Amino acid sequence: MQSKTSFSKYFNATLFRRNLTRFWPLWGMASFAGSLFPLALLVQFLRGEDFYMWNRPLDFTEMYYYAAAYAVPIVSLLYAILCAMLVWSYLYNSRSVGLMHTLPIRREGLFFTNFLSGMAMMLIPYVIVGALCVLVSVVGGCFDAKGLGVTILAVLGLSFFYFATATAAAFITGNIFALPAVYFLLHFLAVMLDWLVCTFSQGFIFGLSGGYSGVVEWLSPTVYLENHLRVSGTYEEVFQRGELTGVGYYTDVLTAVELQNLWLIGVYALAGAALLAIAWLLYRRRRSESAGDVVAVGWMKPVFRYGVTGLSALLGGLLLYELFWRSFQSGRYYEVLPLLVCMLVAGAIGYYGASMLLAKSLRVFRGSWRGLALTAAGCALVCAVLYFDVLGVADRVPEVSRVEKMTLYTADNNYTFYPDEDAALMERVRAVHQAIAADRNYIMGITGQEDWRSQPIIGDASFHVTYYLSSGLKVNRYYYLPISQQRLAQAGTYDNLLDSLVNSDEMKDRRIHLNDARFAPTGGSVYVERRNEGYDLSSRECAALQEAVARDAAAGAWGQYAWLESDWGGEYALSLELSFTYMNDEGDTSRDWISISLRPGMDNTISCLKELGFITEADLVTNSQLYPEAYDDTGDMAEKFAQEMEAVESVGIIGGADGPTTVYVTG
Amino acid sequence: MIEVKNVVKRFDGFTALDGASLSVPTGSVYGLVGPNGAGKSTIIRHLTGIYRQDEGSVAIGGEDVWENAGLKARVAAIPDDWYYFLQSTVRDMMRFYKGFYPQFSMERYEKLKEVFSIDEKRVIRRLSKGMQKQVAFWLALSCMPDYLILDEPVDGLDPVMRRQVWSLVMGDVAERGTTVLVSSHNLRELEDVCDHVGIMDKGKVLLERSLAQLQDNMVKMQVVFRDGQEVPADLPVLHVSRVGRIHTLIMRMNAQEAAARLAVYDPMLVDAVPLTLEEIFIYELGGADYAVKDIVL
Repeated sequence: MQSKTSFSKYFNATLFRRNLTRFWPLWGMASFAGSLFPLALLVQFLRGEDFYMWNRPLDFTEMYYYAAAYAVPIVSLLYAILCAMLVWSYLYNSRSVGLMHTLPIRREGLFFTNFLSGMAMMLIPYVIVGALCVLVSVVGGCFDAKGLGVTILAVLGLSFFYFATATAAAFITGNIFALPAVYFLLHFLAVMLDWLVCTFSQGFIFGLSGGYSGVVEWLSPTVYLENHLRVSGTYEEVFQRGELTGVGYYTDVLTAVELQNLWLIGVYALAGAALLAIAWLLYRRRRSESAGDVVAVGWMKPVFRYGVTGLSALLGGLLLYELFWRSFQSGRYYEVLPLLVCMLVAGAIGYYGASMLLAKSLRVFRGSWRGLALTAAGCALVCAVLYFDVLGVADRVPEVSRVEKMTLYTADNNYTFYPDEDAALMERVRAVHQAIAADRNYIMGITGQEDWRSQPIIGDASFHVTYYLSSGLKVNRYYYLPISQQRLAQAGTYDNLLDSLVNSDEMKDRRIHLNDARFAPTGGSVYVERRNEGYDLSSRECAALQEAVARDAAAGAWGQYAWLESDWGGEYALSLELSFTYMNDEGDTSRDWISISLRPGMDNTISCLKELGFITEADLVTNSQLYPEAYDDTGDMAEKFAQEMEAVESVGIIGGADGPTTVYVTG
Repeated sequence: MIEVKNVVKRFDGFTALDGASLSVPTGSVYGLVGPNGAGKSTIIRHLTGIYRQDEGSVAIGGEDVWENAGLKARVAAIPDDWYYFLQSTVRDMMRFYKGFYPQFSMERYEKLKEVFSIDEKRVIRRLSKGMQKQVAFWLALSCMPDYLILDEPVDGLDPVMRRQVWSLVMGDVAERGTTVLVSSHNLRELEDVCDHVGIMDKGKVLLERSLAQLQDNMVKMQVVFRDGQEVPADLPVLHVSRVGRIHTLIMRMNAQEAAARLAVYDPMLVDAVPLTLEEIFIYELGGADYAVKDIVL
């Protein structure tokens, strides 16, 4: 007798059962591996041992949430492709595809039955592990229905999404070995391209920063989920006494826990449904004879060929350049001709490799000159556009009206500005940025010399500015700047503008974060160089020191940033860092810290450090006292160099075979 | 009735079927012959719903085959490279087929168990190639199909099992009116079982006839002329051979007409000998530069 479902249009029970019985080793092993953790907890509990940190329902829920936010995406990413490789394996062999397509079942029946089989294989291990966790929590009296429900939703959504993407990948290719490659490309191509394009561009364009912009990170769901799914716990500090010793101590107790941005899983699950629909459309049009093809969809073949060529040209070109030319290069930026040659070689390798994979043959050379010519033209075009900065990226300084938020890192500190509150400061930052962009030849000329930092009156500074535009895009620039004593005094130079900005009263206030509700003191560290000893700060100690520094700042004893190393000799040989939790408008939290240079005269801060027991009077030695040889030399050289520079009328850059050279013209 | 009309199928620019047409009458056994690469397996994959034609139509019993689950439930096929699941036993595969084919008969399955004498608990992978082929027949015949499509079905079977298998197939044809399409290189074997033959080459069905029509359209005459006379030049012969005084003539006409044409020369002896399917195949295609060598045993 046939079961009623056997001939249903969308589901065949025989095939479903067959899949589960054929592939039990995979889901069986996954279930076993996953069960070890709750089983170990259960054994500990039955032996009467404490649950350590999981002794209340909220602690258990927090553990679920951590698993859902950080472990489940990674586990599902890897496990989904294994399940897909099994249930869709019949597509990749002409014999098996022949059997399955000869059977009296329509393709939608095969598609949905196999998809449901794969989903069952995805979920069985989670169900078993989840059931064991529930058992452990019930036995331990820590069961929390809400936490469990939220976690089940998250696991369902993530499992569906990852298996749907693996299914979509399965219908793009006709080769089982290509399937994981296509799948991981689908998941990581966006961030990989982002990194590659940024890395490549920053080798050409002045100030372009970061190997990764994150603009398209949402297209790489695992990365995006790992960065945006967050477990937020609220802790309360309570006073307790040890049971045996009776000694009192403060401890943090979890009072609420939340899985933030859970909605993202829902959005990705919807995207998974769309990908599933695409997979189904691809299956309807799929030709059985594509079994064995690397790319099973006709129109994707040229995309694959030139996609591989482009990736190879960029990535392989960079690798070859690093391998063969980087050591000859002067300065931070690429030399175009050697890079172009490297790109062409790597692009040609990619082009022929892709052609061979598509043709399943090594004989692809005849008539290939058109493809090679296209590759060469593409490489030359990319290099030309970037080298000549056709899009004007290096000069781009966004208007404040287009900016939602601006972050700045300079002079060892971070700043965040909002146009509503800080429009004037933002304009000053823009002015520095514009001056830097205008002075690019000077900066590149000096930083292109290997020994520029050994010149004593030239200090160095980082200027890293990020504009978060209203459009959702980011403009991110990073400059490593030479700061010279002469230009610090010269109005209009970026050195001078930066000095005025950083050492302004407004910036000093911003630096210390006092009375700013968005920054909560969390800790920090003190390092005493004389004794080579360091200490961690508690949030209370951090707050106390923050107030002390603020009092010193108000008295004018703190906040003047010293750009040149020769000025550091008067500072105490102490490092003080205060760290804060920063909460943005969306409620997301991040860490921030400030670095405090301690100088004689900062009486409030010094007293506070002494009161807290971190330093004694003996620790109050300056850098020049502790390292006299370094600062004496520097001082002499600085004086000599300063005398020479006083006679300088102008500074110029000349090019040469060994790279650019800075020329100081004296009267 | 199985009907293929003007089917074209291309693979990456290569035309495997180039307007192929064939027609298999209900209840007949149709032999599809042709050299390697002629397109026999490709046409069979269209008939079993694996391939979709680029042009033309493929129908069984008046219904299109593509994505027709109801029709495919009445069609059983044995490809030349039958697939089974890696760890499956015969019984596992039986359960699998049973879950798909509504007419699957356990009674037939049990009866055929005695015919094939294979332990159904054995893993198919561990059986010999011939035994795997027997399993394929066992399961296909248990599906009680109205249409049986066989691609090189008896390759690997020993002579006794071949006879046994054909006997089972012919029994189904006789008792249940099963329509059979079989492709093979083995013309002698087809001659014993087929009542219709189609000849394929280069993606086309060149001709299709009933076996009787084919044999009636061509004749082999053995003739001895008087006084050692040679074959007269005006005789329309496809092929001549001579052993001693006996001439063997292949002529495209029936035996009576050939005898009448030869009687004019007053031969000492005239005898008509029926042609084998293999000879018909060779002489039908031999003059047209076809790959005859590929199919001659």
